[in-house]
Amino acid sequence: MRVLPRIRDRWLLKRIPPGPSVRLNQRRIFIMPTAVGMSFLVALLLMLLAAINYENSLAYALTFLLGSVFVVAILHTWRNLAGLELQAGGAEAVFLGEQACLRVRLESRGRLYQAVSVGWPKSGLQLVDVPAAGTCELQLSLPTERRGWLRPGRLRVESRFPLGILVAWSWVDLQLAALVYPRPLAGDLPQAVGLDEESGEGSRALGSGIDDYQGLRPWQPGDSKRRLHWKAYSRGQGLLVKDFTALSGEDPLLDFDELAGDIESRLSLLCHWVVELSSRQQPFALRIADTTIEAAVGVEHRNRCLRALALFGQESAAPQ
Amino acid sequence: MSSLQPIPRNGLVWLLVAQVLVILPHLAHLPLWIIGLWLGCAIWRVQIFRMRAPYPRSWIKALMMLGAAFGVYFSRGGLIGLDAGVVLLIAAFILKLVEMRSRRDALVLVFLGFFAVVTSYLFNDGLLAGIYSLAPIIALLAAMIGLQQSPAGTHPWPTLRLAGSLLLQAIPLMLVLFVLFPRLGPLWSLPQPKDRGVTGLADSMSPGDMAELSRSSALAFRASFEGPIPDRDQLYWRAVTFERFDGRRWSQSFKSQLPQTPEWSPRGAPVAYSIVMQPSGRPWLYGLDVAQVDAGDVRLMSDFHLARPRPVDKPLLYQATSWPEALREPNAGPAVLGRALELPATGNLRSRAWAAELRRAHQTPKATVQALLSHFNQQPYSYTLRPSPVGEDIVDGFLFDTLNGFCIHYAGAMTFVLRASGIPARVVAGYQGGEVNPSGNYLSVRQLDAHAWVEYWEAGSGWVSVDPTFQVAPERIERGLEEALDAEQDLIEGAIMDLRRYRDIGWLNDLRFGWDSLNYGWQRWVLNYQGERQLEVLQGLFGKVDSRKLGLLMVATGALLVVLLALLLLKPWRREQDAQLRQFQGFERLLARHGVARQAGEGARDFAQRAAVWLPGAAAQIQAFAGLYEQARYAGQPTDLAEMKAALRSLRRQLPWRATVSKPRGGIDGDNL
Repeated sequence: MRVLPRIRDRWLLKRIPPGPSVRLNQRRIFIMPTAVGMSFLVALLLMLLAAINYENSLAYALTFLLGSVFVVAILHTWRNLAGLELQAGGAEAVFLGEQACLRVRLESRGRLYQAVSVGWPKSGLQLVDVPAAGTCELQLSLPTERRGWLRPGRLRVESRFPLGILVAWSWVDLQLAALVYPRPLAGDLPQAVGLDEESGEGSRALGSGIDDYQGLRPWQPGDSKRRLHWKAYSRGQGLLVKDFTALSGEDPLLDFDELAGDIESRLSLLCHWVVELSSRQQPFALRIADTTIEAAVGVEHRNRCLRALALFGQESAAPQ
Repeated sequence: MSSLQPIPRNGLVWLLVAQVLVILPHLAHLPLWIIGLWLGCAIWRVQIFRMRAPYPRSWIKALMMLGAAFGVYFSRGGLIGLDAGVVLLIAAFILKLVEMRSRRDALVLVFLGFFAVVTSYLFNDGLLAGIYSLAPIIALLAAMIGLQQSPAGTHPWPTLRLAGSLLLQAIPLMLVLFVLFPRLGPLWSLPQPKDRGVTGLADSMSPGDMAELSRSSALAFRASFEGPIPDRDQLYWRAVTFERFDGRRWSQSFKSQLPQTPEWSPRGAPVAYSIVMQPSGRPWLYGLDVAQVDAGDVRLMSDFHLARPRPVDKPLLYQATSWPEALREPNAGPAVLGRALELPATGNLRSRAWAAELRRAHQTPKATVQALLSHFNQQPYSYTLRPSPVGEDIVDGFLFDTLNGFCIHYAGAMTFVLRASGIPARVVAGYQGGEVNPSGNYLSVRQLDAHAWVEYWEAGSGWVSVDPTFQVAPERIERGLEEALDAEQDLIEGAIMDLRRYRDIGWLNDLRFGWDSLNYGWQRWVLNYQGERQLEVLQGLFGKVDSRKLGLLMVATGALLVVLLALLLLKPWRREQDAQLRQFQGFERLLARHGVARQAGEGARDFAQRAAVWLPGAAAQIQAFAGLYEQARYAGQPTDLAEMKAALRSLRRQLPWRATVSKPRGGIDGDNL
């Protein structure tokens, strides 16, 4: 059963090579009658029978006219994809369980393309009109099922416009990918995690989460929404977050090997702490397998750590 | 994109418009309650769309369907048959409007609409009806398009324009199919619509019926002659003969309907013509004496009338050849002559006495006939559509008391007297004359041209036709009924609406003739484009045709048209007009075949360098081409296309002839796909 899709994939690879932008042309568009089209043909057959049996020339003429409309509709349906260009947009990294959102841009170099639908069959297609000589941007969301790179594979572009009796489609590979971080799971870090024995103070603070409230600072991307100071916001002071500072001591080291449990739950726990510590502006280090990320702070550091967690144990490091 | 999606506004608008347009031509033969049903359903539907009314519950739907079925049963007397079927179809078409929720339901409605248009052709397939039906078809197509459009921001007019252009683009292919698609005979017999208004001659006739007919200006048939149109007084179109007389009515004899070809020999010059007759609901065809028709199932019957097994229930075109001077049955058998001498046992004593007198006075049948004709000519007989009432003996009353009447009175009375004096005679019913259409050189014969005349039999000369009406009102024969009845114009039914009334106004008359001629062309070329007619036309166009040749021709012309349309729509010549870029694309394709695909965003130089490493054997040629391209493209140097072409050629020669596609370098790992 797996052989057929494999052959199809290989054939598609040759015919529609992957790339960040793909223009649909005659080699890349396929066309077939839809179920509605088949019933249209059956209706035409019945009309032809009526024309024959009643020897009615007008009934013949109407049957032939609608048959010709069917043929003309092949050209129109096909044309409604021909020349359309699809470009990959970026995708933001998400945590496992959230909807991944991948952007695709559709560009028309000439005419208007009506009712083009784009998406993956299992998650539903989105219907858009691409204006003449213009672009339109689509956000395609997908459920995330496991961490790492989410590569949804070939994108289906189809159109039944104008009559719905034919469907023209193409499978394009825009090499879309979204990074999926592990699902953050709150929990306690073990007492001794990567900290020197003598600095017990810091570890207690980390484990319990009781921190010194230090004041307010402006909100910046990556800060937890739970720390927003709504009262200040309502007073018109802008978005402020409550800032906490960990107790003095060495920067904590989040060490994968020190944790118990299966791989995924360990990653989830680390993920939670990466997010948590980053939101507190507290420097931390991460050690996972052979990689050690030195203690640092900031969005970049946070993302690097999360990426390392997401890709732990996975072969391919980065998509094209 | 499933078809279960809700119906977009645009689709619904056009669906409603299409429904009105589809139902309109059906109104002529639909019961009135259908209109009420439609109004109710349309309002309900709009309210559903505005979210002011719910969809009907299933028991209401069932109730409405049952109600419609009952309505059809009571107004049509049953649920079977074409007429009831059409009402049911329209009722379903209307009820589906309220019931439809999804796009799929709406498509069912559209298909029902197409069927309803086809059924409307069974009731009326005239030129106007044909042109009109383009309107519902465009609206139905617009509805189909509207159903596919994305719900936001679409307007009804562009949708309509697209539907119209689809239809226009389909017309050439439709014409090819219409001309070349082989026509078959009916595969099985189907009920025909009943209420096609048929007026015309009947199997039997009393004077009153004929007067009724003379008031109708409905068309009976049109005839075009290959040669010049014969004079009016030659145009006696025979339909049927009346051989039996019961004292009041003249009727057809069953024996005369036997398909025995009577004995006759052609004489004189033949007249060739073709006729398109309107549906008459009778099996007989019209022709000048003596006619031969070369359509398969048409026969000359024993009394010289033409008939076919089935009634003529749709316009019929046939070719005929007549020999007006033919000698007919010079040696008729006793059975035929016996039928032509039968009279009721009693009644009309004065006429019988006069017949006996005539027989004594004249030696030959011819002389008797002459005497009768001059009697009508010399006595004060008059021609009128309002004859005075006569008593029990209608022949006596007319001949001796009232002295006025029209063709059937004269023909009937003359036949009666001839029979009474021992001369075999019968009444011939048909049409006389016709109106010449100057714009088409053909004749239109109407119901008011219905006429009756006499033929009598004489040994040696066979059957001879005479027209007693001519003796009384020669203008009836020479110029037509309306001229003859100037004073009784108002008797002609619908004369006010009829443009014929205004024939003194020159341009209006021209308009009428032009329109009539258009209709006639429509009937001859479109409606009758069936079976033998098609074969005849095709043979005229392409010489000898067989089904294989036709099929090939159809596929070839169809394909040609589709290719032309594809070129027109897709404009492939616009794809890449930049010659340099075209060369570079050729370069790209060539290298891609050898395993080096240009990556997105990779410039010409980088690409060439990478390719040169990958294909060291052709490195020089690759660099040469890339250099030329860069120069032409970016250094603003004058383009030398030929040089680029030559460079590409030498590269092609350098590379192995059959490329083995290996995994593209710097490409993608296929496992991810």
